[in-house]
Amino acid sequence: MSAVPPNYLKGRIAVVTGGCGGIGRAICRRFHAEGAVVYATDVASLDFSESNIHVLHHDVGSEEDAKAVMAHVAAEHGRLDILVNAAGIEIEKTIEETTLDEWNQSFSVNVSGTFLTSKHALPLMRKADAGSIINFGSYDGFIADPSLAVYCATKGAVHALTRAMACDHGPEGIRVNAVCPGYVNTPMLQSFFGESGNIESLKQAVRDVHPIRNYGEPEDIANLVNWLAGDEARYASGQLWIIDGGLSAQVQQMRL
Amino acid sequence: MSRLDGRAALVTGGRQGIGRAIVDAFVAEGADVATCGRGKRPQDLPPTLGWRQTDVSSADDIEDLRIEMLDRFGGLDILVNNAGIQIEKTLLDTSDDDWDALMGVNAKGVFMACRAMIPLMKRGGVIINIGSISGNVADPGIALYNASKAFVHGLTRSIAVDHGPKIRCNAICPGWIMTGMADAAFAVADDPDTAKADALARHPAGRFGQPKDIAALAVWLASDESAFTTGQCFTVDGGMTSASPLNPGLF
Repeated sequence: MSAVPPNYLKGRIAVVTGGCGGIGRAICRRFHAEGAVVYATDVASLDFSESNIHVLHHDVGSEEDAKAVMAHVAAEHGRLDILVNAAGIEIEKTIEETTLDEWNQSFSVNVSGTFLTSKHALPLMRKADAGSIINFGSYDGFIADPSLAVYCATKGAVHALTRAMACDHGPEGIRVNAVCPGYVNTPMLQSFFGESGNIESLKQAVRDVHPIRNYGEPEDIANLVNWLAGDEARYASGQLWIIDGGLSAQVQQMRL
Repeated sequence: MSRLDGRAALVTGGRQGIGRAIVDAFVAEGADVATCGRGKRPQDLPPTLGWRQTDVSSADDIEDLRIEMLDRFGGLDILVNNAGIQIEKTLLDTSDDDWDALMGVNAKGVFMACRAMIPLMKRGGVIINIGSISGNVADPGIALYNASKAFVHGLTRSIAVDHGPKIRCNAICPGWIMTGMADAAFAVADDPDTAKADALARHPAGRFGQPKDIAALAVWLASDESAFTTGQCFTVDGGMTSASPLNPGLF
């Protein structure tokens, strides 16, 4: 049983950046299943079997790409109801190991990408009855994972930007929220597991640290993004929605 | 000149641990200190310091303490609400008596002490509450303790808002502060050395906390150095809660 009405997003026009990535594609498929017309924008490409998921090339660090994506949506629909800024990259380094180019590249995708896509989406979103922007923060914007310094910093920036956008554009009928995932079963997490000699024991160890004794699936994140995108969430704005199986609710668990 | 010269201070729960470290630090900074606890006066407490046998969950005991502060100091400048207890039970195992005991000390005790002592702070004053990282994130199996510390954090903000500018009120949220109790916990682990190494690895500071680490912040918060600081809950945990509970390096 779904927690939202059937065809929750019927007729809505949605853009999902990073829409071909692990979490992005789950969001696109859920939006499609709820009746939305979906534009999955990405630097990569993916053959969706769903008829109403359209893939557009989009380097979120490029302002020209952002304009081109929005011009495409404007030409086909004349408005935009939902924007999900899911494009993101992660560099596994401390600040000493991080080059200025890597730092700038991370901020370009994770922060500037959110800024540029939202900026050029706003004129189209004003033409919708009610707009919803969902940014991708992270629990790493609240507490640190080791050797993810620039990633943590970009996510903290997205959190602050989310509140600022909610303040500025709430009066125009546009809600802005961020989802802040913890450990989610994506290619990124699989590569982390892949480094271990004993993948199963590592997976179990990761599960055991979580109060719900499991890590998340992309569909779990899509469930929340879907809710935030639609009218059930019409009073929700400016908030950072941590979804991490309870991981960050607990104090570090010593092995006594 | 010492930072707390001539200030009259009351520290609840001053027999041992964090409370006693705050008492000693305040004395070293020139304060006139009184403290209290549920037992008899500790043998090693310097004779110039006041001690009153007190259960902070008792309204009568708090009233006696208030009168003693008036008699002893003619008022009060600094109140540290440190007295607290912990009951290691989940919600379903917790009885009404457990609730009364724990919330009586950790929540009602702080409330009653503040209500009694704020009127004594005629020159203005400072309140320092001992909260906990467990009031921000949960430790398993101590549900009411976690909740009681969240109460302390909320009350801290309310006092700062309602009773400023005369009263400044802040909370300190300690992490793992090592006492004899912690060593006992490692001793019963399957592999005490591994357990201790694992716990240490979760502290960016590379060590566990000491009561004096908390006392150091209490002195600063009690002093005029922190004159613009109020309504905040400050974590002192060696960096532990800044890191994710899931540390791949420790698998």
